[in-house]
Amino acid sequence: MANLTRTTALIGALAGLATTAMAEDVTITVWAGGSNDSDSYRIEAIEIAADILEREAAIMGDELNITVEGRRDFTGWDEFKQGITLGAEAGTAPSIVVTSHLDIAPWSQAGYIVPVEDYVDLDSWPLNNIYPNLMEIASYAGTQWGIPQDAESRPFFFWRETLEAIGYSEDQIDALPDMVASGEYTLQNVLEDATKAVEMGVVEEGYGFYPRVSNGPDYAQFYQSFGGVLMDPDTGKLVLDKTAMTEFYQFFVDAVAAGVTRQNHIGTDWNQWYTEVANGRAAFWHGGTWHFGRYATEGNDDFWGTIQFSLIPAGNDAGRANTITHPLVYLVMDQEDDRVEEIAAQLIAIASEPRLNSLHAIQSNHLAVAQAQSDIDLYRGDRWASEATEVLLASATSQPNHLQYGAFSEAMFRGLEAAWSGVQTPEEAVAEVEAQMRATLGDDLIVR
Amino acid sequence: MTSRMLGIGFLTPAIISVAIFFLLPVLLTVVFAFTNMSTSTGIMGGDYQINSEQLRSVSEIGISEESVELLENAGFQITEAGLTALAEQFGDETAEELREDYLGETFTARRDLERVLRNLDEPIRQTRDRKTAADLFAVTIIGERFDTESQFRAALEKTGVDPVDHDTLTEFAYTGWTWTTDNFSLLLELPSTLRFAANSAFYVVCTLTFNIVFGLFLALSTFYLPSKTANTFRAIWFLPRILPPVLYVLMWNWFTWDNGFIATVTGWFGVPPQNWMMQTTTRAWTVVILINGFVGASLGMILFSSAIKAIPTSMLYASEVDGANRWQQVRYIILPQMRWPILFMTSYQTLSLLTSFEYILLATDGGPGRSTEVWALAAYHTALNNYGGNLQYGLGSAYALVLVFIGIALSALYLRFFNFKELLAKPRIEQ
Repeated sequence: MANLTRTTALIGALAGLATTAMAEDVTITVWAGGSNDSDSYRIEAIEIAADILEREAAIMGDELNITVEGRRDFTGWDEFKQGITLGAEAGTAPSIVVTSHLDIAPWSQAGYIVPVEDYVDLDSWPLNNIYPNLMEIASYAGTQWGIPQDAESRPFFFWRETLEAIGYSEDQIDALPDMVASGEYTLQNVLEDATKAVEMGVVEEGYGFYPRVSNGPDYAQFYQSFGGVLMDPDTGKLVLDKTAMTEFYQFFVDAVAAGVTRQNHIGTDWNQWYTEVANGRAAFWHGGTWHFGRYATEGNDDFWGTIQFSLIPAGNDAGRANTITHPLVYLVMDQEDDRVEEIAAQLIAIASEPRLNSLHAIQSNHLAVAQAQSDIDLYRGDRWASEATEVLLASATSQPNHLQYGAFSEAMFRGLEAAWSGVQTPEEAVAEVEAQMRATLGDDLIVR
Repeated sequence: MTSRMLGIGFLTPAIISVAIFFLLPVLLTVVFAFTNMSTSTGIMGGDYQINSEQLRSVSEIGISEESVELLENAGFQITEAGLTALAEQFGDETAEELREDYLGETFTARRDLERVLRNLDEPIRQTRDRKTAADLFAVTIIGERFDTESQFRAALEKTGVDPVDHDTLTEFAYTGWTWTTDNFSLLLELPSTLRFAANSAFYVVCTLTFNIVFGLFLALSTFYLPSKTANTFRAIWFLPRILPPVLYVLMWNWFTWDNGFIATVTGWFGVPPQNWMMQTTTRAWTVVILINGFVGASLGMILFSSAIKAIPTSMLYASEVDGANRWQQVRYIILPQMRWPILFMTSYQTLSLLTSFEYILLATDGGPGRSTEVWALAAYHTALNNYGGNLQYGLGSAYALVLVFIGIALSALYLRFFNFKELLAKPRIEQ
């Protein structure tokens, strides 16, 4: 007996030594931009994945200890992106970042990120189940740099009561999404109805059409509504369609002239904006799929009874009803230690499990990244997730991953601001945007 | 000797501070301004790569058609050399199987070859191993990143591209920043340049005038008050300067917003609620100038007050005996002795206003419609703020460098104009 005990103790000690020798401690830092409390699973999914990977390693006889350190307390995208790029220059970049897919082009060029495809098998579960168009958005120049973390889309919203007050029946309101999709109901109708709502005193002046208050992918949607194209698929160059751009600017100028949109709308406080649209102060507005949850916290418990949503309506015959999806992606950042990159990539793959991703999708009112998520009870049971997927995702396009897209988008928005606030006419603004784009984009631009 | 050393010793901290906090930033601004540095080029240097996006424009840099075709179609080739390497690392059976079925074939994407390796009868089971194995057959350089020029050239050699094109391709493939004067020609070309310059000039002149006049007014008016009351007033007027800018501007926002103080009060008189900061360009400028003006005026007030106090009171008493009124005292006694503090405030404030943008950033962010976008704010927006993520460090520095030159030129001008030498002359009384 004593012998046995001694032997066991010896084996135990040896095993202890052995495991100590093989134990591997890895710290994975995850930074998530643009994330608030409801987006906590951007980091927590990695923590759960770490647990699974540790168990997988343990089964193979390896002791792997992964410490996940998450951070999402950034004041804004600016601070986040500066932190990432400066960290990457100084060699202190986080292992994993959750960021806009638009960062892939510049960051891959700079060597800040490494291709996730170098570390994981894209043909195996769960990565082979992710929607191919989303995988495409997370790739650049033929390389799969990242994995989509969530999907969303940017719908147009209508306040039902206001529509009823200006003469719409309930059936007509229910039919609006289809009419928008088919091009029967256009932005010109929006303008007419908004004017009516203001004139009848249903909403206050400036609250007929109540757009986003800062630059973002949303405004490219209106450019597309008037027939604008962001990138020429054949040459990969960015496209400035002057007619579409002028008409897009003109729409906002007309809205101001009609008194349905405030001339100084840009720069309105976001919190004020959310409260107002969630409680019916505006007749028409546009936002994102994640607004569903935000409106509830602003005191609107009856989304379905008060709000209708659709694609962004077409502006004219040249354009089409559309919506832009702007997925955030998981990216692996370049590290001194290749092993950290490998583990980071594996964690991202595990975190993309439909079940784990659904936790994020439902908690934060985002849309699924993988097909199998529609078979998960949590996701299928959520009315917003399933209806928004149906109405919006099929027509969703994305902004191009292009090195110069930032400059393009910046110039487009500045032109819009100048026209909107009355500093320039739409024609003058477009002329300046053209000069600006020709100078900054050079050969990367096609002007039509 | 020792005393000289001691002097240098005492000066050292100042010299080091000036070097780190002034000379170095200026030097870096000069360096950055002559580069095409951006997020995508990185700061610390680059690698060598040509990806499929770049490949689309490679024919525009004067590379022969054949070279472009070779680059495009190189892919992953199953060659004997590759198979031998594969056999060494992953066993003969795998290599043999690949040889039988695929010798001589070319895969355009690595992923296609990986699929083959995964589906062999003797597959390569680990993902990482498959990647390594596939790379043994790589001929293509498209999408590959090379740390050094020699590695890139060696890989280029293997693709069979005409050596005539090697230099052009290597230069094209470099991902880091390069020296250029394009930023300055771009500044000349951009239509917004003139507007930002005009905005800056307008902002500096108006704010400066407000600073000096209002600062003087406060100093003079508090000078004639009983000292306790005067100190209270000065403390109140000093608040804008000691408040954190974010808090100070937040208060202005509350004051001017659609549902803020002014809108509420004017609402009582039937004025429709409106944003008193952003509604029109005139209002935006008024608010911007007031926000910065009060901050500057408070400093002016303190400086001017102490300068007034330094004027011998006997002069003022004498003037009163002569029957001078307050205005005459100000005009003939106080103001003439304020030349030095006014000079100091003017030059100091011009220079600091030229480069200051934080209050504008927080208040209007250059709006509405970029009408309050001053030069320094444009530099910030270009270099550090961009929704799409590709920050233009080089161009932003070019903006900043222009300010540095204007600052130096203005300083020189001020020194001459106000005759600094005379002001700094040794007091005669001690001679």
